[in-house]
Amino acid sequence: MPEGGRTTRIPLVERVLEANDQVAAVNRAELERRGIFSVDLIGAPGSGKTALLESTLRALKGHRRPAVLVGDLATRRDGDRLARWCDQVVQISTGQGCHLEANQVRDALGQIDLDAVDLLFIENVGNLICPVGFDLGQAAKVGLFSLTEGDDKAAKHPYLVEAADLLLLNKIDLLPHLSFDRSSFEADVRLLNPRVPILDVSATTGQGLDAWITWLDR
Amino acid sequence: MLGVHEFSIAEALAAQVQRHAPAAGRVREVEISVGALRGLEPEALRMSWEAVTHGTAIAGSILNVDLRPWSIACSTCGRTWTSPVPFVACACGDPAPVPTAGDELNLVSLTIDEEEA
Ligand SMILES: Nc1nc2c(ncn2[C@@H]2O[C@H](COP(=O)(O)OP(=O)(O)OP(=O)(O)O)[C@@H](O)[C@H]2O)c(=O)[nH]1
Ligand SMILES: [Mg+2]
Ligand SMILES: [Zn+2]
Ligand SMILES: [Zn+2]
Repeated sequence: MPEGGRTTRIPLVERVLEANDQVAAVNRAELERRGIFSVDLIGAPGSGKTALLESTLRALKGHRRPAVLVGDLATRRDGDRLARWCDQVVQISTGQGCHLEANQVRDALGQIDLDAVDLLFIENVGNLICPVGFDLGQAAKVGLFSLTEGDDKAAKHPYLVEAADLLLLNKIDLLPHLSFDRSSFEADVRLLNPRVPILDVSATTGQGLDAWITWLDR
Repeated sequence: MLGVHEFSIAEALAAQVQRHAPAAGRVREVEISVGALRGLEPEALRMSWEAVTHGTAIAGSILNVDLRPWSIACSTCGRTWTSPVPFVACACGDPAPVPTAGDELNLVSLTIDEEEA
């Protein structure tokens, strides 16, 4: 303590991510007002987020009016892949940032003709940790796990499992080739989140995509 | 190793603390409360805190992390307890009691050394 001064404790209760959450609320209000259903897709690097969106966009052609925001550390590759299936794609380069934040989504929404959109996909940066804690204003959080990551990944990432409105288990075509214990994966999920639906999908073979499309249309 | 995941949290917190800090006085301690669900490492938070506050008006302040643990409830024997990790077996033999945790991430208090006017 400095000479002659005094020490005071100031109690506060304020969310650390309050500033982000306020922008997220603006995004959410705008998307809801426009009747746009929005999905924040969160999964590990290489789990198949872009592949899933490619096959989803293909399946939605002529049926829904999608737009995609895609967060990536350094490249434009995912955006280029998705632009083949959708004319409203915005690539968000996050540089060092390992997750998207609400203000990046706010800016990207300004680059989209929202009048021509009824479904918004946000491919978050490949990472199972930080993206969960940063609200973007999405209607639903979708967690994407894949068989090649191993059956313990739900248990190791409880925040995503708990926060997800839907879980997708991708690369299900590889089940016969891997020692992935599907029931152990599901048991871990159920302990953390008894209600979340789990859909087995394959972005490459198209297996299970019908159920995912139905979920998007509900 | 500096946890990159904790870094952006520390950055947001530093901006928030600077907004609250009174003009006269020095921030001695910052207290936050973190739910176990967040998966944040207190040590990585403290190292990130040092890095992001370096060279600012709040450099040298101590980050005090109150990590709220998992609470575990066993449906077989009815016992409840707290744990730093979610997946633990119960002493009664139940291999999978139910883990729950909060995702709070709150600034709880600032401790200020006031300067004599
Ligand atoms: N066998 C199989 N391979 C898949 C499937 N989905 C994706 N892949 C492959 O997995 C690799 C990674 O797919 P991406 O779509 O780039 O993964 P991502 O999650 O977007 O990766 P990042 O954006 O880098 O985080 C590619 O080689 C895909 O072909 C699937 O359902 N089955
Ligand atoms: Mg991708
Ligand atoms: Zn991160
Ligand atoms: Zn028990």
